Amino acid sequence: MTKRSTTHATFVIERDYAHAPAKVFAAYADPKKKARWFGGPDEWESAHSMDFRVGGKETSTGGPPGGVVHKMSGEYWDIVENERIVMSYEMHLGETRISVSLGTTEIRPSANGATLVYTEQGIYLDGYDDAAAREHGAGELLNQLEAFLNAEA
Amino acid sequence: MTTTTHGSFVIERRYDASPRRVFAAWADPAAKRAWFAEGEGWDIRSFELDFREGGTEKSRFRVTGPSNPFPPETTFGNETVFNEIVDNERIIFTYSMDRDGARFSVSLASVELRPDGSGTRLIFTEHATFFEGGDGIAMRESGWRELLDKLDEHLAAAA
Repeated sequence: MTKRSTTHATFVIERDYAHAPAKVFAAYADPKKKARWFGGPDEWESAHSMDFRVGGKETSTGGPPGGVVHKMSGEYWDIVENERIVMSYEMHLGETRISVSLGTTEIRPSANGATLVYTEQGIYLDGYDDAAAREHGAGELLNQLEAFLNAEA
Repeated sequence: MTTTTHGSFVIERRYDASPRRVFAAWADPAAKRAWFAEGEGWDIRSFELDFREGGTEKSRFRVTGPSNPFPPETTFGNETVFNEIVDNERIIFTYSMDRDGARFSVSLASVELRPDGSGTRLIFTEHATFFEGGDGIAMRESGWRELLDKLDEHLAAAA
C-alpha cells in the first residue's frame, strides 16, 4: 500500500507556430484532426473519443502491446473559438489514478502565425508521477501538433 | 480579446474534530450547505450535492447586503465535479464560477485531512484560472479563508 501524498506544480510551455490561430484551434476542435497528433507513440494500441463543447468529455487510452494501459479522462470547462480551451483531466495507469490537472491552451496571433501558451496546473498523487515528466510529455505533444500542422499545410 | 491569469494558494487549518467529522462536513449535503452556502449576505437559489467520484455539486446564489458591489439581480453559479474521494483523507475537485451565465474562473482544488492529536489538520490547495471579469487570486483566497472559518464554527456548533 502506497502512502497517500500529493505534489502540486504548475508549468508553462510557449510555442510559436507558422500557422494561423484558426488552423491551430481546429487541430484541437476537430476530433479527426486531434486524433492524428494527440496520443502516445505510434506503436501503441490506442483509442480516442471527444465531445468538444463545455461539459463535454474526452478520453484517450493507449499503451504498449501487452503492457499497462495509460488512460486520460478529460472534461472541457471553457472554450473561446480560436483563443482559449480549458480542460481538466485525470490520468490513470491501469486502475490507479496518478494525477488530476487543469490545462489552459491560449492561442494568439503572432507575426509568424500563432503563439500558443499551454499552462498546466497539476496535482500528482501518491508518488506515481511528477511535473517534470508531465512537462516533457506535454512538450512532446506540442511537437506532434507542429508536425501535424506542417504536414497539413 | 480574452485575458487569462493563473494563480495558486494553500491554506492550512487545525480543527478540534476528528478527520471523520471534518470529512462528513464536506460529504453530507445538509452539512455542506450549512457552512459552505448559507450565511448572512447570501441568498441561495439552489444547492445540489452528489458526493461521489464523477458526481457534481451545483449551486446558484445572489449576494445581498449593503456591501454587495453587483446589481441586486446578479446571479452567481458554482459547478463542481469530484475527481477523487478518499474517505476521511482526501477530496480533489474541479469547479467553475459563473456570473449571470458567463464563466469567469475554473479551478482545481484539493482538501487533505490528517489526524493531529484529537483533531485534524486540513490543507486546502487551489490552482485557479481566471478569465476576463474574474475575481483574481487574492479575493479567491480570502473567500476560502472565510469559508474555512465557517467550517470551524459549523464543527464547533455541531459538537
